Amino acid sequence: MLDDELLSTHLQELRRGTVVLACLLILRRPNYGYALLDLLDRRGFAVDANTLYPLLRRLEKQGLLTSDWNTGEARPRKFYRTSGRGVALADTLSRDWDELDTALRTLKGES
Amino acid sequence: MTTASTLTDRYVDAALRHLPARQRPDIERELRASIADAVEDRLDAGGEPAEAELAVLTGLGDPARLAAGYADRPLHLIGPALYLGYTRLLTALLVTVVPAAAAIVGLMRGLRGDVTVARLIGDVLGAALTAGVHLAFWTTLVFVIIERTATARRAATRPWTPAALPEPPSRRARYGELITQSVALVLFTTFILLSPTATTRTDAHGDPVGILSPRLWESGVVYLFIAMVIVALGFSFAKHYLRWSVPLAVAGSLADIAPAVTLIWLAVTDRVLNPAFAEAAGWSPGVPRWITTGLVAVSAVSLLHTVTEGITRARHR
Repeated sequence: MLDDELLSTHLQELRRGTVVLACLLILRRPNYGYALLDLLDRRGFAVDANTLYPLLRRLEKQGLLTSDWNTGEARPRKFYRTSGRGVALADTLSRDWDELDTALRTLKGES
Repeated sequence: MTTASTLTDRYVDAALRHLPARQRPDIERELRASIADAVEDRLDAGGEPAEAELAVLTGLGDPARLAAGYADRPLHLIGPALYLGYTRLLTALLVTVVPAAAAIVGLMRGLRGDVTVARLIGDVLGAALTAGVHLAFWTTLVFVIIERTATARRAATRPWTPAALPEPPSRRARYGELITQSVALVLFTTFILLSPTATTRTDAHGDPVGILSPRLWESGVVYLFIAMVIVALGFSFAKHYLRWSVPLAVAGSLADIAPAVTLIWLAVTDRVLNPAFAEAAGWSPGVPRWITTGLVAVSAVSLLHTVTEGITRARHR
């Protein structure tokens, strides 16, 4: 049996880049930090708040997300949206993921 | 709710303190909204306000860590890209400069005379410690700054190539050096030990007058010096046959430095040549001075060689 620490280390390594792709895909429809955190959690992409919030800023700085303050509601919230560049990156990453998936299936079929 | 809101205020303040001023208003607004959203979510699920706030802030973790994430700052002093270069340079400096600094201080104190042996050893150890602490501190500081400067970091991290591999020590060439050193030692020792009797000059009683000062024998310094040279030769063999290690490198550097420093000390204090011999040989006063200067120069070159070779060996181990 694998011990928990070893398992969580490897799972974390395997999932590291997937949060970015998930964000880019979800934010094709504008959303704000906490709602995104909740959505990711429910879709099975467990990520800490203190990782996600800085990540959103970084992606925005890289031009992959755009943001707007929504002050219409009682609580002003910063809404993020995947930019054109972000959509292009999401497509590339998705294709790469699919290729990896195919490659892994081939490997599993061979053994 | 007052105590709970104070807690959030303190958290947000603590996080913003580590951020550049122009980023603060936007991040503060967003962070407060995110915390409020999370607290609200917990309250909707039937939680206590104070407990909800506490749980949300606990979940966000150390505000300094969150701020480092926002500012894209590393949470380490020296990262993996620079670490090897850092340890290599630091080791190379420590194993060479520290013994050299200690030797030079020992020489200066010894030259001034009128110090006890215990005091001298204390000064030398103090100098070694000071030199080591300074080297470690300043080297670390430079690397910490490089780590935090994007352009410097790119310049400092060159891709590794096989050309940087340690040179296989050409055993034959090195062996030649060792043989030369051994032969030189035998000739040199023979010359020193025979010099009081096998000489070209005699005094008024017909007794031989050696070229080297008789005080060297009276004080036993000559035997100490020969012992140092033999120890240095021993370390040359050790360095040839053993793998590089910090203790060996430090001991080897010290063993090389000790006879050179001793010789400088003897030459500068006029304890090498026998004045009676110079007189008997009819030397002009300039001759002993030139010999003394030559001895100091040779020793200084040997010291320099020890330091440069030590650095090269430490870097290419």
